[in-house]
Amino acid sequence: MRQFFPVEDLARDERFVQTNMAKRLADKRSAIDVKKTAKSRGSSNRLTPERHDASDAARSLMHGIMVGEIQALEGAGRTAHDFEAGDGTNDTIPFELKLDMARQAWDEARHVEISAKLSDWMGTELGQFSENTVLFEAACSNDPVLRLAGVNRALEGLAIDVFTQMKEFGQLAGDPFLEFCEDWMLADEVTHVKMGSDWLRRVTEQDPDRRAKALEFQQVVDKLFSFGGARGDSEESPIGLARRFRELAGFTDDEVDTIAEMDHDALEERKAAVRLAQEAAGV
Amino acid sequence: MSTHVTVSPEEFSLVSYDAERIAEIAREVADLLQVPNPLAIEIDETTPLSKMSAVVDSGSSDATVTLRLQSGALEDTRNLTTFSEARARLSLGRVMLRARDRMRDDFADAPDDLETSNSENAAWDAYCGGRLERLGLEPIQQQYRYDFRNRFGFRDDVDTVFDQLWASDDLGWHDLPTAP
Repeated sequence: MRQFFPVEDLARDERFVQTNMAKRLADKRSAIDVKKTAKSRGSSNRLTPERHDASDAARSLMHGIMVGEIQALEGAGRTAHDFEAGDGTNDTIPFELKLDMARQAWDEARHVEISAKLSDWMGTELGQFSENTVLFEAACSNDPVLRLAGVNRALEGLAIDVFTQMKEFGQLAGDPFLEFCEDWMLADEVTHVKMGSDWLRRVTEQDPDRRAKALEFQQVVDKLFSFGGARGDSEESPIGLARRFRELAGFTDDEVDTIAEMDHDALEERKAAVRLAQEAAGV
Repeated sequence: MSTHVTVSPEEFSLVSYDAERIAEIAREVADLLQVPNPLAIEIDETTPLSKMSAVVDSGSSDATVTLRLQSGALEDTRNLTTFSEARARLSLGRVMLRARDRMRDDFADAPDDLETSNSENAAWDAYCGGRLERLGLEPIQQQYRYDFRNRFGFRDDVDTVFDQLWASDDLGWHDLPTAP
């Protein structure tokens, strides 16, 4: 079987239309009031049933979760397959890490099925929304440690935030299936992040430079996964940062604070970019 | 019948929409719904959200109906910032049906669209969705049902009310359910 699969070659049927971060950021509209500054925040944009567009927003996010789970399955599966078993040096990974990646792939396959059924329950057709392939791009590094940082810590960390938000949405709306399913998937994601945190530490135990490089890569990916501030502590962000579950998954307070700062920066940068573009367009 | 339609802006900067095409589709939908009034369609292209509202000057057939839509209401969700004719038909159909309802005496008590509560919106949308389906458009019923459940509860009796709304053709404002 072929190793090191590029994002362009992901197998999808005709229902799916793919996009990427460059295209997403080229959209100069914003659901957030871009004229407000960090010091003059107004009403909350959190994804709760109180929002007038709650059902549409939840449907869009659930579709994003489903395609994200497909990409997470592909990412974990690739890492289990792409590297030979060894002691963790010279492009090898410990056999037990392969087993964890295989277990994660199995979990993600189950999540895809659950998310597809939840999408159907919410009235969404598969492929109704575009698929952003940025998640799989984090799983394309040639260094397995960078994949652990990008996929298990950044991507699965984002999954913790998103599932916590959706679980709360289901709870508040009284949707028994959404709340139940998100809670169970959330438990898996915490495990996946913990696996990534543990393996990253073990594999780089004797190689501090490699560890530093991996953590630096994670920060880059985390900022991308903020989606221009769509995730963050600010009430302007639709998705909150799930601090308690991140702590359970092995993130330190300092690490979560750093992610929160990057989310804040990403939000302000996005607002400034949209403001400029709208002014330039004269709207 | 060929309804007079204006669309603003006439040229879009942030989305790839064509005002002429939007006007054509609006005329087709107005014919289908038998709305003879002049239509003024105002589109807010600064937001990807999809809120819509209708303002009717009076109940007469020559009164201008103003339809305000955020750009997401006309968007192809598979290709952001591009126009979807199918979505436009459904969105314009829904907001025009609301405008047509407002011209009836038994909708006189309906608050302005931007003043309606989430549950009032969900109930009115369900009533619109069923009528659009019977007119040959293709709303996804499960979307409307999910929205209705979010506002009224995830229970069998709520589903029964939804089914009644979906099947109805001649309701007044006070026939629509209110939030528990």
